Amino acid sequence: MAKMKWKHELDRRHHQVVLSGQHVAIHCHHYNINLQKTLEDTLGHAGTAIIYQAAEEAAFQGLEPLLEQYQGLKTIKSKLEMCSIWYQNCGLGIIHLQDLETGTGYAVSSDSHHVTGWLAKHGCRNTPGCHFTCGWLAGAMACVFGKPAGTYMVKEIKCKMMRDPDCIFQIGAH
Amino acid sequence: MAIDGEKIVQAVMEGSRIRESRGIIPLFGVYLSIFSTQYYNRINFDFEKRIKEVQGIKAAELLIQAAQECGYTTFQGVRNSWEWDEIVQPMIERKEDQLMGFVQVAVAFGWGDLQVQKLIPGSDLVIRVGDSYEAKGYVELNGIADTGKCYMLRGVTGAFMDLLYGEGYPEGCFTFSATEPLCRAKGDPYCEFVARKSLR
Repeated sequence: MAKMKWKHELDRRHHQVVLSGQHVAIHCHHYNINLQKTLEDTLGHAGTAIIYQAAEEAAFQGLEPLLEQYQGLKTIKSKLEMCSIWYQNCGLGIIHLQDLETGTGYAVSSDSHHVTGWLAKHGCRNTPGCHFTCGWLAGAMACVFGKPAGTYMVKEIKCKMMRDPDCIFQIGAH
Repeated sequence: MAIDGEKIVQAVMEGSRIRESRGIIPLFGVYLSIFSTQYYNRINFDFEKRIKEVQGIKAAELLIQAAQECGYTTFQGVRNSWEWDEIVQPMIERKEDQLMGFVQVAVAFGWGDLQVQKLIPGSDLVIRVGDSYEAKGYVELNGIADTGKCYMLRGVTGAFMDLLYGEGYPEGCFTFSATEPLCRAKGDPYCEFVARKSLR
């Protein structure tokens, strides 16, 4: 598969940080988790939906030009691999997408920024908490399969924030 | 010795390319992630829209509070990290240099072209930002605003003063609070943040 040139992809344009041409910001777990908690505590499900949709949209718009740029990525498998690498390089964690070649199935994450951050700040919780990753997966899947954003629906069925050994995401089409 | 922002930017760019086996970027005492500014803008401004419709309370206040608390904890971690000891501490000669170090870390994180305009120790801090991603993002999503929209930078400006002149950590958070009298989202030429002691 084509190798991602991360040093080239992550760069600066004066004071801005850019990733594959997209304007990005570096934030820490305190901010990401504080935002999540503020939205969840204030709006409940509507708050988690905002996180999901924002992550879906941003992942789609970030990954679409990246996958186009690497012409060597011909197969679904190699595109899924590239998405995993991108996720990891962004410090978001480890995500295994290899069982999604048909477009539906399960993704497994053994570690993530949001899980590590949530557990460090708030400890375990009783409901799945990886709303960001659910949205990110929905956006990534749409990119990989050449569908519009919003095509895929992702639900977290096991979550490390709830003491499960891994986070497991169920992916299907709407 | 003045704070060399370029050194800090370099350290952040190099450090953010290194991640440990869990796919996490531990740098300057915190876990970092790199993600689109569009994501943060969507979250802030969709939340604001939604909460106005639902509860009629000010979303802005909640978002500024979340950012100030985060800025307070984050930069406490930053100034206690080995990277800070190694790179920034040798450039610090007086207490106020610490603030310049914080500002350069924020610039390195891609939060904007922050510049300290005025610092009266223990009293006032004015930070100017010509290119805040929050202001730019607001205008792109919603058009011209009637109030300042840089909630993250506003909270962080307050947090910088809390860490320098508030009570010892963790008691000093919200000793200061910031306003944003000028914002590019309102059509001003730049965004400006003014932190002063909170009225409480």
